[in-house]
This record gives sequence, structure tokens and C-alpha cells, in this order.
Amino acid sequence: MLGRMEGKYDVVVIGGGPAGMGAALGARDSGSERVLILDREPDPGGILLQCIHSGFGLHYFKEELTGPEYAERFLENVIDQEVDLLSNSYVSGISYDSSGSKGVHVMNEKYGLSTVETKSVVLSMGCRERTRGAIRIPGTRPSGIITAGLAQKFVNMKGVLPGKRVAILGSGDIGLIMARRLVLEGCEVVGVFEIMPYSNGLTRNVVQCLEDFEIPLHLSTTVAYIHGKDRVEKITVAPVDEKLKPDMNRAWDIPCDTLLLSIGLIPENELSQSLGIKLDLLTGGPQVNSTLETSMPGVFTCGNVLHVHDLVDFVTRESLLAGQFAGEWAQGVRRPNDNIRLLPGNNVHYCVPHSLSPEREHTIYMRCQKPMKPCRLHIGDLKQKKLRFVVPAEMIMVKVKPELLEKFRGDTLRIDILPAEEKTD
Amino acid sequence: MYDVAIIGGGVIGGSIARELSRFQLDTVLLEACAEVGFGTTKTNSGIIHPGHHSSPDTLKGQLVVRGNQLYDSLHQELNFGFRRIGEIVVAQSREDLPILEQLKKQGEEKGVPGLEMWDKARLQREEPNLSHTLLAALYAPSAGVINPYEFVFALLENAIANGVVLKVNSPVTKIEKREKILLLQTPGETLSARFVLNCAGVFSDKISQLVGLEDFTIHPRKGEEYMLDKRLKGLVRRLVFPVPKASTKGTLIIPTFDGTIMVGPTAEDTEDRYDASTTYEGSDRVFQFVNKICPSITERDTITEFAGLRAVSSTNDFIIGPTRVPGFINVAGIQSPGLTSAPAIAEYVRDILIEEGLLLEEKESFNPFVASPPRFAMLGLEKQRELIEKNSLFAKVACRCELVTEAEIHDAIDHGARTLDGIKFRSRAGMGRCQGGFCSIRCMDILAERLNQSFTDLSKRGSNSWIVTEMVNEQHPKMREG
Amino acid sequence: MLEMEQYTCTNCPMGCPLQLTHEGENILEVFDYQCNRGLKYAKQEFSDPRRSLSTTVAISHARWARLPVKVSAPIPKDRVIEAAREIHQLQIESPVKRGQVLMSNFLGEKDIEVVALRSMERIS
Ligand SMILES: Cc1cc2nc3c(=O)[nH]c(=O)nc-3n(C[C@H](O)[C@H](O)[C@H](O)COP(=O)(O)OP(=O)(O)OC[C@H]3O[C@@H](n4cnc5c(N)ncnc54)[C@H](O)[C@@H]3O)c2cc1C
Ligand SMILES: Cc1cc2nc3c(=O)[nH]c(=O)nc-3n(C[C@H](O)[C@H](O)[C@H](O)COP(=O)(O)OP(=O)(O)OC[C@H]3O[C@@H](n4cnc5c(N)ncnc54)[C@H](O)[C@@H]3O)c2cc1C
Ligand code: SF4
Repeated sequence: MLGRMEGKYDVVVIGGGPAGMGAALGARDSGSERVLILDREPDPGGILLQCIHSGFGLHYFKEELTGPEYAERFLENVIDQEVDLLSNSYVSGISYDSSGSKGVHVMNEKYGLSTVETKSVVLSMGCRERTRGAIRIPGTRPSGIITAGLAQKFVNMKGVLPGKRVAILGSGDIGLIMARRLVLEGCEVVGVFEIMPYSNGLTRNVVQCLEDFEIPLHLSTTVAYIHGKDRVEKITVAPVDEKLKPDMNRAWDIPCDTLLLSIGLIPENELSQSLGIKLDLLTGGPQVNSTLETSMPGVFTCGNVLHVHDLVDFVTRESLLAGQFAGEWAQGVRRPNDNIRLLPGNNVHYCVPHSLSPEREHTIYMRCQKPMKPCRLHIGDLKQKKLRFVVPAEMIMVKVKPELLEKFRGDTLRIDILPAEEKTD
Repeated sequence: MYDVAIIGGGVIGGSIARELSRFQLDTVLLEACAEVGFGTTKTNSGIIHPGHHSSPDTLKGQLVVRGNQLYDSLHQELNFGFRRIGEIVVAQSREDLPILEQLKKQGEEKGVPGLEMWDKARLQREEPNLSHTLLAALYAPSAGVINPYEFVFALLENAIANGVVLKVNSPVTKIEKREKILLLQTPGETLSARFVLNCAGVFSDKISQLVGLEDFTIHPRKGEEYMLDKRLKGLVRRLVFPVPKASTKGTLIIPTFDGTIMVGPTAEDTEDRYDASTTYEGSDRVFQFVNKICPSITERDTITEFAGLRAVSSTNDFIIGPTRVPGFINVAGIQSPGLTSAPAIAEYVRDILIEEGLLLEEKESFNPFVASPPRFAMLGLEKQRELIEKNSLFAKVACRCELVTEAEIHDAIDHGARTLDGIKFRSRAGMGRCQGGFCSIRCMDILAERLNQSFTDLSKRGSNSWIVTEMVNEQHPKMREG
Repeated sequence: MLEMEQYTCTNCPMGCPLQLTHEGENILEVFDYQCNRGLKYAKQEFSDPRRSLSTTVAISHARWARLPVKVSAPIPKDRVIEAAREIHQLQIESPVKRGQVLMSNFLGEKDIEVVALRSMERIS
């Protein structure tokens, strides 16, 4: 499709999902002329193309769209803005010279292995799914244990089913959405098993994907054993204790031929790691300053490769910004270093970006560690915000104005989520 | 009629098939699974042992040293993943020290080359990430690591190129004695052969029962192995063994041929001959143990795990030789170090066949070589460009974690892969962190096209291991009333 | 007699737990909503619960085997399965444009259509 790839670019964006497309638009907005998106798939759009349910775009398009619609409408904007786009192109590495110019190595059937020169880079490679290995379920290793996202691609794009009688481990959104998809396609979904005492998916998905179809959601329960020689034959599930260890005395068996895993997503950071970019162990993504620049000058990042998002609208907002800064960087703008470091405090799992500057307004994205309601978000002593409730499944977003930051004396700003009654000292 | 029929396409059957393919013989190999090497040969530690651990009084103890020596030439001819990285046996306490001395002596008597005692300082210098409480180590430079599945694929490919007939999906279900021949029955056909070699791994006692022999039994001993994230590559450079205890060589740290670190195995007797399950108890044991030797390894680093069955015989030794049934030869009870011994076992069986009256005449046309499969990820940019220029499918990435290209998937299929596991163990596609999340569909697309099958016909590893099923819209699921 | 129903608002990710009191068909009061959409939602759930539906249909001569489609407006909740089954009968020939109407007058409701969620080119 739409492909040129000539000369030197201002900004090369790696990954053509919503984050990559947003970054490209942001870069064009900033005045950069030559912007290229590289994506390894045949069509741009990333994960959205397989998310056929609605629930995308309420903030950005002011309309409730499905994933493919969001992707295609966004793509039209990108094409309008004369961004170059090359699909079926896998980025295998990035090289770096002392002048700061970068070479992006791309593999493409038509162009072979080429190196695209660019001033700045935006990493927007999305995320991948955690697998059985990451959580270590004992038992045999038959066919029929697959991640929910792969199942989604099988069903929605390839037109085949992962099995007939399906159990789902983990209550992440993809798993919930797949429960409904599979029921609509005539499968039996025997239950969703979640090790935590609360669902990891959005409430609306619990309601519309499980409750509507009478699919049981077992909280504080996990799959403790997988049986079957060639294909999954049954699973043993068990309630867990406070330490999340299964209590085998209360375990029971469920016959099924398939186990879907919806146990979380991890930023796709192979490329970032090979570049030597500093990662945040909590998000699994790069550490970034307030311009979404990584530890490598001129390399920016956004979307699920930075931290896993549940709302594409937030991805878009973040990536427009990353693109904007990447574009400015390409035009020679160098901003002073941030001087305020953010520190996740009580019930804050992580926050992004990792530092701020009093120069501009900022949006801080964060996730809590455990559900809490009602509660209060404290940005150091600068600001408090009442929140009706927080849950780990839903990202929290808060704006901080430069006027507030100017008042701040110190170099570390701690963010806490505390029960509403409590006060910070 | 065949001169020789080999039952079982593991490393033992494969090594023998390849050895016999040097001669003017009609040889057939019958394998129950969809591909060769899917038995114990795929699920072990992949270590080519130097041989000092086992007593010279056993057959296994005798064959292991010769087996180890044969690997250099095999590696040159067959191009599988193999490297001599050396091993150390570490002493954790004072009581271990005399055992190290004893092992050294036993090894030297058996001709194990280069054994060396390392003191604490040397050990810390060579392997700084091991626990600093370790007292000493016995170093054996001839220990190697291997990708065992690549080895058996190469053995069979070479054997086939030199005339051996391979029949997969062919479990032998019945054997009949006729005057001078044996008739073998598989679901598809009946074959006849003068000699039958029983290389059926954990099922070798069952095969021997098919001809009415009851003189040994197999008692599977399970070993669980845990593969760690590639982030830990380089943490340990040599194989690390504890001082051996009665039933196994203990839990090991294994820098595999590909550099990824693996820990295991356990040793647990089981009655179930299909029991390839991993357990909480197993992983607890492995990690508790390994953690003492290498504190920075934890359970959380696991990316995948598997288990294999050792075919431990009632004699606790290899059972290799002719039987009361003329022409029926056992190559049974090949437990650890069976992989190491395999090349020596092949020679040993060849000599038995000669003694039993099989005439072996060398074939002039024998070609010992197998080309190594392309490995795009291992090459530098320039070499990668060259490959792409020759074949643009090298520019299409199929597996992102291990950077495997579509050209390599095609190559795997050209070399016999018929299942997703077959592709995985030949090309590495699906072996990385995402465990097939990304590449499964790509591999299935190619496999379906090449085999002219639909997705629903494809399998993970043959028999009932289907991957996906057809969409049907006839069912009537129920929706909760409002 | 006064009765109470509980719903979880699904209009936005807040997912407010809502309570609705009624006497027979007659709605008395809705509690705990954070915005008017929640109020509307509870009333709708009580009187005429509806769901949006997306699924896929077979498409030939296209890059993928399935074309994603949606029903243009929410349909009665108890007809979702039936609707999916009916849509699954479709067999589409490429090319398709996003928004293309594949079925109209769906489930006998004027204004409700089944539309394509993306464009797909023709590939032979
Ligand atoms: C199943 C699921 C359901 C969701 N549901 C909703 C919802 O209802 N509402 C909502 O608002 N949000 C939802 N989200 C969240 C939102 O859609 C995602 O967070 C968003 O799509 C992430 O965008 P991204 O561009 O960062 O990543 P992706 O969409 O994953 O895009 C990354 C792109 O980069 C490409 N790429 C990666 N590596 C390379 C490389 N080396 N070379 C070239 N290209 C590369 C990939 O092929 C891909 O196209 C959902 C997410 C998932 C997974
Ligand atoms: C955990 C573990 C770790 C080990 N580590 C090492 C190590 O590091 N070094 C080492 O040297 N050794 C090691 N071993 C031992 C080594 O793996 C085995 O000795 C070796 O693989 C045995 O090969 P095989 O061909 O006899 O068995 P297999 O590979 O099991 O082959 C037997 C074949 O016979 C087939 N078969 C069975 N029944 C029939 C039938 N009726 N008809 C046709 N075909 C049939 C099976 O399908 C199978 O493919 C280890 C073993 C285990 C379990
Ligand atoms: S009531 Fe309003 S805020 Fe609450 S979930 Fe519904 S739409 Fe969202």
C-alpha cells in the first residue's frame, strides 16, 4: 500500500497502530515535513483491526466506534496529512551515529533490508500477551492453550474457532470480550477464572460479556492444573488463599478442550532493549521525560509500548503529544531537562511520564495497585483530586498546570492515592 | 522385504538408521508420531556428557565416553546445534570434596580428557555469578550442549538421503514371527523384515512383549525442566552440576546451545507413560536447589517448562542385544546418558547385526553431509542482505521473538516439518517469549498452503493435537433474561 | 409494591452501579448515577434493554476470511443471539467499503442496518 521510502526523514514512526498514526499526525502538526510510518502488518491499525467490538473513540471522535472503524478513520487523517506509510515492513534494529542521526533497519519483501535515515524516531510497537510460562500453570502441555488475543485473531480474521468448550483464565478485557465472541459463534464458555478478588477488565465488559450470557466469573480462583495428552481435556481449578496459592482441597475439575489466557499484556520492548534504552520495571516500557523522550536522545515513545492502555483515546492523546515533540526535536528544538521527578507512592503502581517540567501543562497517567473507594489523589502537596473509585483495570489520568509546578520547591514529587477520609501529613 | 526395520524415531533409532545407511541395505524406520524426535529425544537436558559420572561397570558407563568423542565428526557432517562448553561439578560442602576427587579419578580411568580441579578463587573467577559459598569444582572441558531435536532431524534427513525409508504416523501394533522373518503391523500396512530393532523408548518393553518376551520392564522416570528468559543469557557459561546423588545427576544449570539458561531436571518415578506434566512440587524443588548454587535465578524468570520421561529399565542399565526371538534385537532402557551414547550405541548395534549374520557392504554413494539450515537472526547485516537478495522471503519476518523469516519456515517444511512443533523445533519460530502468540498464524498460513490443507487440518504435533476448529453457527446459546 | 433493580451503567468506563425503584411498570426513582447518561441507561435497561452487536461474516477474495460488521443501532437484548445467527448467514464478495450496508431493515426494525466495519480490497 501507500509506500515510498526515500531520502532522509524528519520522523520515522515504528508501528502503525493508533499510537503510531497519532504520533505521525502529531509530528506533521509540529511542522515536520517528512514523516514515515513503518508497520510489519499488511494493514495499518495494529491491534484495533481485530477488536471488532465497540467502545473506541468516545473522546477523540466523539462517537462510539469499533476498533476497525477507529483505525480506518484515523488512517484517512494520516493519508490526508501526507504521511508516508510502508506496511509489511519489519523494523529489525536502529543504529545511531554521533551526530544524532539515526538509521532504522527495515525488512520488506519488495525493498529488501534497507536503512532509513531519520532525525528522530517514535517507538510505538504496541504490546504482546503474557503466556502460560509467565504464570507457570502445572500440568501437561497439550494443544488448546492459547492467549485470548491470538484466539481473537483466529475468530475475527481467520474465521476459525480455538475450540468448542472454552475456559478462560484471567479477566482482562480481551478475555471478557472473547467470552462473548465465542458464545456468539456457538461455543460454550464454561467460566472465567480470576486469581485476584476483583476483575481485571472494565465493568462494562463484565456486564455485557459475561453477565448477559450467564458466564460465571470465579474471583480468587485459578487454574491449578492442565490435563490432556494431545489436546486439552480438562482443567483443575482451585480457590486461592491470601498468598494467591491454590487450595487444592477445594479444587474441582472442569472438562473443556480449550484454555484461553487473558493474563495481561507486556510492552513489546525487544527493539527498545536492543537500543539500550532504560526501561521502567513497573510498566515494562521505557522511562520517559515529560516530552515522552526515552533515555536515548531523539527517540520518543507512546501507546502500549510505553505502558499498557485500556482506552485507545488515551493512546491517541499521548501519541499526538509524542509526535509533536519528536517533530520539534527533528527541527532542532531542545528543551531544558525536566527538574521534577515523579515518585509512585501509596497505592500507585506506576506513573508516566517519569518526570515533569514547570514549563508546560502535563497529563500524568497512572495505575493503582488495588481497588479503593472513595479516595483522593494527592500530587505532592500541590493538588488533590477526589476520585469515586480506582481499580487497577482503569488508567487514571490527571492534568497538572504549570502554575502549580512553579510553586513546587524540591526535586521529587510523590503521588499517592489515599482513602478519602485520610489526610496526608 | 526390508533387511532391517527400526521401531522408533528418537535419537537412538535415528542414529542407528543413519549408521546403517552407510551400507547396502533396505532399512525402514517406523515412528508412531507425526514426526521423528517427538519422544524423549525432544524433552531432555541436551547435554553431551564427558562420561566421568557413570561407573565403567555398566553398559551405559562404557558407551558414554565413546559417544561423546563421536560428536565432533557428527557435528561437522550434520550441522546441528552443538558446542563443547564444558561442565563443572561444584562442591557445596566439605563432604562433597572427596567425591569430586573420586569423580576425577573415575573419569581419568575411563579416558575423559582434560579433567581439572578448580579451587574457590578459580571458580569465582570463571563463574562469578555462582554462589560464593561454593568450595571447589571439577571442570570437564569435553562436556557439550546440543539441540537434540536438530540432531535427530539431521540424522533422519541424512539417513533418508542415503536410502532409508521413513514412515511416520506408523505405530507398530503387532509383530508376528515367521520362519526367517518378522511381520510388523501398523495401522496402514504390514511390513516384513529380517531384523527388527526395538528402539521404542519408554514403550520398548511393550514392543518386546509383542514378540512374547517378558524379560524386562520399563519404569518411566520423569524429569521436569524450566527454561528461563533470555535476559539471563550469559549468567553462567558452563554446565553446572551438583555432586551426584544416587538416583540422578541432580538438578543442573544448563546454558543451552542457544544460550538461554535452563534449569532441571527433577527425577520422579511415574506409571503413566504419557505423563509429560510439570508440577508445583517439581518447580519448587528445582528452584530451591538452583537458587542455592546461583542466587540470581528465581522462579519468576521461567518462560516455559516441559517434562520428559527417562526409559529406566528393570536392570537400571541399557538393554542392547539379540533375544530369544531370532532377528528381534532390543535397544531398550536407553535412559540418561542415552543422548550422549547414541552414536556409540549405533556402532554397537551395527556390530551386533554383523554378528547375527547381516552382511554389511559399504555404499560408495554414501554422503555423510547435511547442509545447515539458514539462521537469519545469527547473521550480520551484510550476510542478511545477501540472503534477501537471493530470496525475498528472507525479508518477511514470521517470528519476531527469535527473528525467524518466512524463508526459514519454508526450509523447515522442505526438511520434513508437518506440524507447528515440527516447524518450531526446526526453525525456532514460536520458541521465544511470546510462545507462538505472534507467529502461529503465519506458520499456519505457510503450512496450510504448502500441505494444501486448511487450518482445521493442522496440528501442534500430530494425532489429536488439533489447533483450531471450524466455525458453526447452528448452535443455540442462551442469553440471560433481562 | 415498591421494588428495586440494580444495574451497572456501561455507558462509559466509570461503570456506575445504579439502583432503580419501581412499582410494576412504573419507574419511581434512579439512584447513584454520575451523569444523565446513567439515568437514561437505567430507565432503558428497565423498559427496553438493548445491546450493540458486532460480529463477522464470511468474505471471499479478500486478505482475511472474515469481514467485521456491526448492527447500526442497539437491538433488543433478548434478540442478540438470533441476530448474530442471522448475520452469520451472509456471504460477502470483496471489495467492500467501510460503512457499506450489507443488510437493511434488520430484525424488522426500519433504520437498523448491518454495516461493514472496514474496507477490504479484492484479492484474487
Ligand atoms: C483486545 C483489546 C481490546 C481493547 N478494547 C478497547 C476498547 O474497547 N476501547 C478502547 O478505547 N481501547 C481498547 N483497547 C486498548 C487500545 O485499543 C490499545 O491500547 C491500542 O490499540 C494500543 O495502540 P498501539 O498503537 O500502542 O499498539 P498496537 O495497536 O498494538 O500497534 C502496534 C503496531 O506496531 C507494529 N509493530 C510492532 N513491532 C514492530 C516492528 N518491529 N516493526 C514494524 N512494526 C511493528 C504492530 O504490528 C502493530 O501494528 C483494547 C485493546 C485490546 C488489546
Ligand atoms: C529430563 C531428561 C533429561 C535428559 N537429559 C539427558 C542429557 O542431558 N544427556 C543425555 O545424554 N541424555 C539425557 N536424557 C536421556 C535421553 O534423552 C534419552 O536417553 C534418549 O532421548 C532416548 O532416545 P530414544 O530414541 O531411545 O527414545 P525416544 O526419543 O523416546 O524415542 C522413542 C520413539 O519410539 C516411538 N515409538 C514408541 N512406540 C512405538 C511403536 N509402537 N511404534 C513405532 N514407534 C514407537 C516414540 O514415538 C518415540 O519417538 C535425558 C532424559 C530425560 C527424560
Ligand atoms: S452514569 Fe455516567 S459516569 Fe457513570 S458510568 Fe454511566 S455514563 Fe459513565
